[in-house]
Parts: sequence; C-alpha cells; structure tokens
Amino acid sequence: MDSRNFTYMFYGFAAAWAVLVIYVITLVSREKKIHQEMDQLKKLIEEGSRK
Amino acid sequence: MREKITYLIAAIVGALLVSNLYTILLGLPDEANQGAIYRIFFFHFPSAITCGICSFLSLIGSVMYLWRRNLWWDAFAVSATELTLTFGAIVLMTGMIWARIIWGIWWAWDARLTSTLVSWLAYASYLIFRRAIEEPTARARFSAVISLFTFPGVIISWKSIEWWRTQHPGPVISIRGGGGMAPGMEAAAYWNLVPLVMLALILISIRLRQENTQRLLDGFRRQAHEI
Amino acid sequence: MRFLRQSLVIAGKDLRAELRGKETINASLSFSLVILLLFSFAFDPSADETRAICGGLLWLVFAFAGALVLNRSFARDLPNDCLDALITSPLPPSALFMGKVLANMLILMIVEIICLPIFGLFYNVDWTKQFGMLLVVLVLTTWGLTVVGTMFSALTVNMRLRELMLPTLVYPIMIPGLLAAIQLTTLLAVGEPLTPDYYPWLKLLVGFDLIYTLLGLALVDTVLVG
Repeated sequence: MDSRNFTYMFYGFAAAWAVLVIYVITLVSREKKIHQEMDQLKKLIEEGSRK
Repeated sequence: MREKITYLIAAIVGALLVSNLYTILLGLPDEANQGAIYRIFFFHFPSAITCGICSFLSLIGSVMYLWRRNLWWDAFAVSATELTLTFGAIVLMTGMIWARIIWGIWWAWDARLTSTLVSWLAYASYLIFRRAIEEPTARARFSAVISLFTFPGVIISWKSIEWWRTQHPGPVISIRGGGGMAPGMEAAAYWNLVPLVMLALILISIRLRQENTQRLLDGFRRQAHEI
Repeated sequence: MRFLRQSLVIAGKDLRAELRGKETINASLSFSLVILLLFSFAFDPSADETRAICGGLLWLVFAFAGALVLNRSFARDLPNDCLDALITSPLPPSALFMGKVLANMLILMIVEIICLPIFGLFYNVDWTKQFGMLLVVLVLTTWGLTVVGTMFSALTVNMRLRELMLPTLVYPIMIPGLLAAIQLTTLLAVGEPLTPDYYPWLKLLVGFDLIYTLLGLALVDTVLVG
C-alpha cells in the first residue's frame, strides 16, 4: 500500500470510529439513567403502597 | 427473540466492517496522486449516504406522526435524527481531514460543505428545541414541524454539487454520470455502505426502544406522584 | 379571495398595533444602524473590500433586525389571551399566518429601505444604479425570511427561551436563501448588472420562497391548533 499521507488517513479512520463510539457511549449512559429512574420509581411505589 | 436478532445483525455488521477494512486498506490498488488518504473515501461516501437515509427516515417519522399522532413515530423521528447527526459528524470530520491533505485547508465555504454543515446545525437545533419543551404531545408536534422545515435544506445540500461548480469533487460514481472511479473501488464503496446502513438501523432501533421506555417511565412517574 | 381578505384584516390589525407604539420598528431600525456603524468601525473597509462584502453585510444586518421583528410577531398577541381568541375564531389559521407574514414583510421592508441609503452613506456605495433588480432581490429574500420566521415565531411563542430558540431555528433554514441573496446583493448594490451567471441564484430564491410558503401554509394549522 502506498504509504504517503498514512498518518492522516489513520486520523480520518480514528475520527470516524471515535464519533461512533461516542454515540454508543451516550446510548449506554442513557440506558443507565433509565434503569436508575426505574429503580427510583419502584422505591416510590413500594413506599406509597406501604403507607 | 428481538434481542437475538439484534445481536445477529450486529455480528454481521462487525464481520462486514472488518472484512471491508481489509479490502480498503490492503486489497485495493493505490490512487495515483493522493497516497493513502484517498481510502478514507470508503467511509466518507457511505457515511454521507447513510446520513441522507437517516434524515429521510426522520422525515418519514415526522410525517407519520403528524398523520397518525402516535408517539411511537415521534420516538422514531428523534432516533433517526440523532443518527443523522452522528453520521453527519463522521462525514464532516473525515471530509475535513481529507481536505487538509489534498487542498491544504481544513474547510472551504463552498456550496456542499456549507449546506451540509448548516443542515447538521439545523438538526442539532431540533434536538436542542426538544429539551426545551416538557409536554410530550406538544414536543412531538413541534418537532415534526421543525423536521419538515429542515428537510428541504438537506435536499439542497445533496443537489448542490450539480447546481454549482464547487470545490468539492463532482460526481465520480458511475450511476451519476461521472466515470472517474475504477470498478473495484466503486464496488468497495457501495459494499461498505451495507454494514453502515445496518449499523444505523440497529442504533436507531436501540435508541427507539430507549425513547419508548423513557416515555412509559415518564407516564408512570406522573402516576406515582399522584398516588 | 376570502382568504386574501382575511389575511389583509389580520395584517391591518398588526400594522395598526405596530404603528401605534412603533416599538418594533424603532428597535429594529436602531439595531440595524448600530450594526452598520459597528461593522464600519470594525473592518474599515476600502472601496474594493466594500464591494466584496456589501451583500453579506447588508443581509447580516437585515437578518438580525428581522429576528427582532419576527420574535414580536406572535408574542405581541400573548397578553390578554389575544392569541387564543384569534385561534378559536372562525379565521383559518393559514389566514392568520399569512396576515402576520404580510405585516412583518412590510415592517421589514421599511427597515431595509431606510437602511439602504444609510449604508450607501457610510460605505460610499452607489446602490441606486441597479435599484430595480435590487428591490426584487430584497422583496424575494425578505419574503422567505418572513415566512420561515413567522412560522417559527408561532412555534416558539409559548416557550420561555423564545428569543433564543427563534434565531437558532430560523438561521440554518434560511442559509440557502440568504446565500443567494448575498451573492445577488453583492453584485447589485454596487451597481453592477446581473449576468446570466447569477440566474441560478435567482432561481434558488424563487424556489426557496415557493417551498417554504407552501410548507408554512400547510403546517401552521398543526402548530397553532394541534
């Protein structure tokens, strides 16, 4: 493979993958938030039904 | 069952991406003038198409919401818009890195680059707008209208390299009348489109499920507080 | 015909309200003049530089002034539930929309026509040579800006961050239209006639106006009523 400008090609690929990875990370963190909210709601309902 | 399908598709996507990376980096011949950097085209071009597909899906979601008033379509529209932004970011960044080498500048204010960036900003403002409205039905309604207003800008961006002589390379792929790519390269570009589109669809489906769950949770929270 | 009459009634109401207080026109005019002054201080352009930037300069000024006018457009009707009254009246929402577009259009055109001589004064530009064509470009672009802006004014009327969201939403959508206007104005404001090279820009402006007027008329119902 012609290796002129190889570094920048690497940066290009790295940028593309980085964007995808960042998006997947936001998806994962959103998932965690949803689980946290579900747990909070469960606790709220349990406390409410106990009273 | 649905989880299994998602994992299966993800596995296929992974396999395709890896095999394509091999083709792109090692299998394809060299380009005469650009050196290695031209290989970024094989992500830049399919990402652009994927971005366009996602924005079209977002349009469909918005229209369907306005027609059916089912909030599922609103969730679909948001998910598609987020993926539009993601793949749009990939297009812009890979394009900028390519341009730094080939043109010597990171950016040029020509028609295609400007309209792509502006469309990206318009979709970003769609997401910002959504955060400012709490009530789900109003939010869905207004977002759908904004999405419908944003879409013609995307069309203009796509057509801009035909309408104006711009710095961005003109159409080189064969179906659009250009003749500038070797057949092996063109096939590779389209073949890399398949895993990217599948990846976009998987991510949309995940985000869609999250959005629907969030909506249910919001409903439950309101009920729980009332109790 | 009835649609036109209804729109004119609304336009008349808005213009009368505006002319009584003149707050929007005054604010808009002062803002435009200040920006024109500021740019001339900031860049101190020579004659050649002015020729190169005058389109962009003029349309930046008009776009910012326009945001002021458009923000007030639906917000003016918020106190005393006037907006609710208008929406629930037998008036079709598209006529309400068109009436406000016409009123805003007139207000913005007034601001622009006043700004032009002042621009010519500060920057030593003879804009009268191609005034006919320049007026056409002004009208077309202002129409596009007003249609999109009034639609988003309706959309953002009930939001807390109205003044921020309106420009954020309107400007990206306006870019193709503004770009065409800037290209054409740069040529016309310094007195050069239009060459066939520039006809695509004119076509873009007309197409832009058509698409967004139709979209606005079709969707304003959804935004205002639901």
